[in-house]
Amino acid sequence: MSRFRCERARAAPAWWTFWWVVACTAWHIHGAADAAEPVRFNRDIRPILSSRCFACHGRDENHRKSGLRLDVRDNALNAAESKAIPITPGKPESSELIRRIFSTDRDEMMPPADSGKNLTAAEKELLKQWVSEGAEYEPHWSLVPPMRVQPPIVKQTQWPRNPVDNFVLVRLEREGLRPSPAAEPATLLRRLCLDLTGLPPAAHDVSAFQRELAAADIADAKAGDRNQRAAERVYASWVDKLLASPHYGERMAVDWLDAARFADSNGYQVDRDREMYAWRDWVIAAFNANQPFDQFTIEQLAGDLLPNATLEQKIATGFHRNHMLNEEGGIIAEEFLAEYCSDRVETTAAVWLGQTFTCTRCHDHKFDPFTQRDYYGLYSFFHNVPEGGIGNYGANIRRNAPPMLKLPSPEIEAKIASLNRELDEVKKSLAALQDAKNPEHVRLTERVAALNKQIDEIDLQIPTTLVMQELPAARVTRILMRGEYNKLGDEVTANTPAALPGMSPDSPKNRLGLARWIVDLRNPLTARVTVNRLWQSLYGVGLVRTAEDFGTQGEPPSHPELLDWLATEFVRTGWDVKAMLRLMVTSSTYRQSARSNPSLLQRDPENRLLARGPRFRLQAEFLRDQALAVSGLLSSKLGGPSVRPYHPPGLYEQVVAGSSANTYVVGTGDELYRRSLYTYWKRSVPNPAMLTFDAPFRETCVLRRPRTNTPLQALNVMNDPTYVEAARFLAQRMVREAGNTAAERVRHGFQLTLARSPSAAEQAILVAAFERARKDFENDPTAVAELLKVGESPSDTVIEPVELATLATVAMTILNLDETLTKE
Amino acid sequence: MPNSLAFQQALSRRLFLSSSSTSIGAAALACLLGRDARASAGGSPTPAPHFHPRAKTIIWLTQAGAPSQLDLFDYKPGLKDRFDQDLPESIRNGQRLTGMTSGQKRFPVAPSTFKFRQVGESGIWLSEALPHTARIADRLCVIRSLYTEAINHDPAMTLLQTGHQIAGRPSLGAWLSYGLGSENNNLPAYVVMISRPSGPTNAQPLHERMWGSGFLPPRHQGVRFNPGRDPVLFLSNPPGISTERRRKMLDDVVALNRIKLADYQDAEIQARIDQYELAFRMQAAVPELADLSHEPKSVFENYGPESHKLGTFAANCILARRLAERGVQFIQLYHRGWDQHDNLPSGIKSQCYDTDQPTAALIQDLEQRGLLDETLVLWGGEFGRTVYSQGTLTSTNYGRDHHPRCFSMWMAGAGIKPGHVHGETDEYSYNVTRDPVHIHDLNATVLHLLGINHTRLTYRHQGRDYRLTDVHGEVIKDVLA
Repeated sequence: MSRFRCERARAAPAWWTFWWVVACTAWHIHGAADAAEPVRFNRDIRPILSSRCFACHGRDENHRKSGLRLDVRDNALNAAESKAIPITPGKPESSELIRRIFSTDRDEMMPPADSGKNLTAAEKELLKQWVSEGAEYEPHWSLVPPMRVQPPIVKQTQWPRNPVDNFVLVRLEREGLRPSPAAEPATLLRRLCLDLTGLPPAAHDVSAFQRELAAADIADAKAGDRNQRAAERVYASWVDKLLASPHYGERMAVDWLDAARFADSNGYQVDRDREMYAWRDWVIAAFNANQPFDQFTIEQLAGDLLPNATLEQKIATGFHRNHMLNEEGGIIAEEFLAEYCSDRVETTAAVWLGQTFTCTRCHDHKFDPFTQRDYYGLYSFFHNVPEGGIGNYGANIRRNAPPMLKLPSPEIEAKIASLNRELDEVKKSLAALQDAKNPEHVRLTERVAALNKQIDEIDLQIPTTLVMQELPAARVTRILMRGEYNKLGDEVTANTPAALPGMSPDSPKNRLGLARWIVDLRNPLTARVTVNRLWQSLYGVGLVRTAEDFGTQGEPPSHPELLDWLATEFVRTGWDVKAMLRLMVTSSTYRQSARSNPSLLQRDPENRLLARGPRFRLQAEFLRDQALAVSGLLSSKLGGPSVRPYHPPGLYEQVVAGSSANTYVVGTGDELYRRSLYTYWKRSVPNPAMLTFDAPFRETCVLRRPRTNTPLQALNVMNDPTYVEAARFLAQRMVREAGNTAAERVRHGFQLTLARSPSAAEQAILVAAFERARKDFENDPTAVAELLKVGESPSDTVIEPVELATLATVAMTILNLDETLTKE
Repeated sequence: MPNSLAFQQALSRRLFLSSSSTSIGAAALACLLGRDARASAGGSPTPAPHFHPRAKTIIWLTQAGAPSQLDLFDYKPGLKDRFDQDLPESIRNGQRLTGMTSGQKRFPVAPSTFKFRQVGESGIWLSEALPHTARIADRLCVIRSLYTEAINHDPAMTLLQTGHQIAGRPSLGAWLSYGLGSENNNLPAYVVMISRPSGPTNAQPLHERMWGSGFLPPRHQGVRFNPGRDPVLFLSNPPGISTERRRKMLDDVVALNRIKLADYQDAEIQARIDQYELAFRMQAAVPELADLSHEPKSVFENYGPESHKLGTFAANCILARRLAERGVQFIQLYHRGWDQHDNLPSGIKSQCYDTDQPTAALIQDLEQRGLLDETLVLWGGEFGRTVYSQGTLTSTNYGRDHHPRCFSMWMAGAGIKPGHVHGETDEYSYNVTRDPVHIHDLNATVLHLLGINHTRLTYRHQGRDYRLTDVHGEVIKDVLA
């Protein structure tokens, strides 16, 4: 797609070579510290100081106790207010810090007895060892540029397919673990399809994949190098096919919509609708076109400021209009303008920098090297939008929150142009008439009014989308003391955080300059944060578990060298998202079976070491999409206005504003069966099934959904008409597409859903279920009729109702299986 | 002694879980019951309680839209003589105005048209608009000195519920679910019920976030109980699927999941099996709970004429008592419609018709069943209302705008000093003059009554340890029995 063409040449800059030359000569493995191994600050010491000490002895001047700061070595080595020397390198016995942490005197011990922040004996020993060894500090890992080391040498040289595997395997070998065997082909294909498109494989895809693999196996019988094998080419071709599917963009958009806090309503108080689907469709298209991530970033943050910005580039800037908008009558505009700008700062910092800026709205960060001045420096970039702090509640939702873009169809444009031409002519004739009492004058005046009204009405039929624009003259930005809109402090100018490499001097000090700085190769964070989220989307947990926090309070990476290697690779390939995913999913690591065993489960319950394949419950959207897909109900339509699928009666009406006329009107036809990312998202009452399965409210940026397990989820899949109707349609496919026996039919239903055949034991349970239900329903025609009525789409009348109802219950059982709800 | 009983139960929960925490089942159960999985793995299933709780259950009767303190609880006899006089600038003292009255030229004092009288042995002053509440006055502790920072509904309700004006933090109920887990194995720890006003009032909207879990795991969010066939979403089996059929289908699901578990040995599969069993038990427990048909006639007489209608505040009050009886820990009712910017006298009457009698009946009902000792009941809204009239003032009609600087609430039951008034406002009910109580103080006190030190119930999010009361909050000692 040409509209995502990237104009920038992709020559590697000179400094790029830096990463290559630092490649390690001797691979060193770091594990937990033991007596034989020196303590390392970032790995061993910083987490302790950060969580127990920095709140009172860190960056924040206002809360610093006793004038002591421990986050800067020079300060920690010099006398505090008490005259005592906190740290004397090499001499724990003359270091006040060590004395105090080992003290048992309640008045002296640190952290204080009442702080609830105790140190374990092991932690105390570590601190002591660190001081003995010289109390060396290191800058926080994520603020140091990623270092590209050569993929380590491993013992099992046959296992790695690409460098990802070397990094994973070397760790496993050190831990004395072995990787798991590869997953069965069908299981792997289902995993791949769910990961790359959010949809299960179609039945014919499963058989084609297996057929191609079987053919490849014959060819490979005489092949040598694994990467040259035909089977590898088969797998790679399926990866490419899925990455080229239009559903890839839909799948990728889901995570991005959480990050962008996208919704179809304004969020505050009356929570009126907004129209933003053009932006959402832009995201899908951008992923499908594999727009490089740096360009993807620049267009969303500052597309409007690009030279000769296209319509699409302007639509892209809706990213930072997705925040909530207040239309409540009594509010003060300035107060909410401050909220919107703050939201943009915090969202930008979280999405691209993996940093938590919320703290710095009111004070300097207690743990990370960011200041309140940094916050308002960023704020200033987002403060120049010609927007009101309050939405215009009296206006139509297509006019209430400028700046907005109109997106007319050519037909509407032509119609309005023709009406305007007529209006001009009538006005001309009117001007020629002097006498206001002339009947012709009266007629023409009425005509003008009628035409204006008509134009206005048609104008309101034009879809719109919220966008960013820049005021001609920048607003003055002042620090808001304690973050409050009316407590103005020092004036600040637009700038990037001081602890990170600065903007290039020739860069404009506006959103465009900021966007370019974010994807500047010197920025140590953006690439790491982004590849970590891609990893998270496949494995359920990132290499850095706290995907939203790469600061000192976040978790350090499980595989630091791998994270850095991926980050540098991402940049090297021109921020190519599809290439990065291809690299990840073609690795041996990804292709492992998800089977576990008691010792592995005990050793690594969360699979952070990756000795097995990923296995976790599907995201809310993909659960529903899967049921629609396997039943054949799913609409494949891409994009367009959000739709209203089934919604429990009364739920919406209980809480929304206004009269009883404000009701949820369930959509019709295809609207009931669109992919879940198109479901109307009202922030005050989002689709309950989405919430039940851990989707966020979309009020603020979310980069990592929790995964919980509640009985409400079971009730949802068992009883929601969405799933009951899907079961009925899956049953129809069992009848139409399989043979006449119960065994053939239940096998087919199982195969359609799980991409594999049931084992003999599984089939026996399903056949017994079929026979039991069949007998039961033969004596209960009312129940049959009732069950078949659930859902809007009528059943195929050719199929015998008792058979259909019976198979529908079997289908319900299949749709509720753990394996169905899970990606494995 | 009921207080120590509650603590014993909390302890036995803890022991039960820690003694079996090595098995997969215990972790799964902990997860399903709303406990933090990591906490349970460490031997301590929940972060709280920290000390002996006074209360086992909370019933929070949230009056959404902000009821007027001047017409219900905060008697200002002196205002009669100041009818239609301008509010002195010295009293207003720079208070910010909402966009709804900032255009007004005058701020004329509007005395309440409701008569006040001293009720009960305690002699608390109460408006004639609350005749039934008058009957339970000696059980109440009225706080007249609450204040908040927010001046508009959305931020104020969000602050009241989550301790912060801006969306994104967990609600009180979610904190409790996280802190204390669930008492009842078949019901959620936090239940929410909503009623719309019977009168023609324009009801302020509510948001799911008000009972949301914020950054806590979503299993802690309030579960809405709805009137009608499915009190809990998707509770009923689909038409044509009887309980017997469901049970057999579930047996098949379990059998198939067991095959999978044997093959994959993933603890999540066991958790899934438990999840479906618990859902099945809920399918029995919730309808039993929501079925009011076996309640005696006298109950409906006590809770008033609206209690027959599903989904009313009165019917929800009966349900609240039934939930409390079954060990649901936090029961929150919302009644909408208290936003009387105009026609306040008739609007308040209509709101009191909806709420007054059922509220009094609930307190008496709890007391008769011996539950009031272990149940904390709260009644109030998100802020107060102005002494000056919004819009035209006549001797019989007026409206009142939003007022954050002072408002009234009451608490009753477990651990609360009965028949007591805390705090005082000036002669205009405009400023607090004695014992100010911030929302954070209120929340600190509620947590205290549940055995929780509000500074110690924390959750790490984005690198910071968050708590309901942020860095504020003092327990209001004077309201404690």
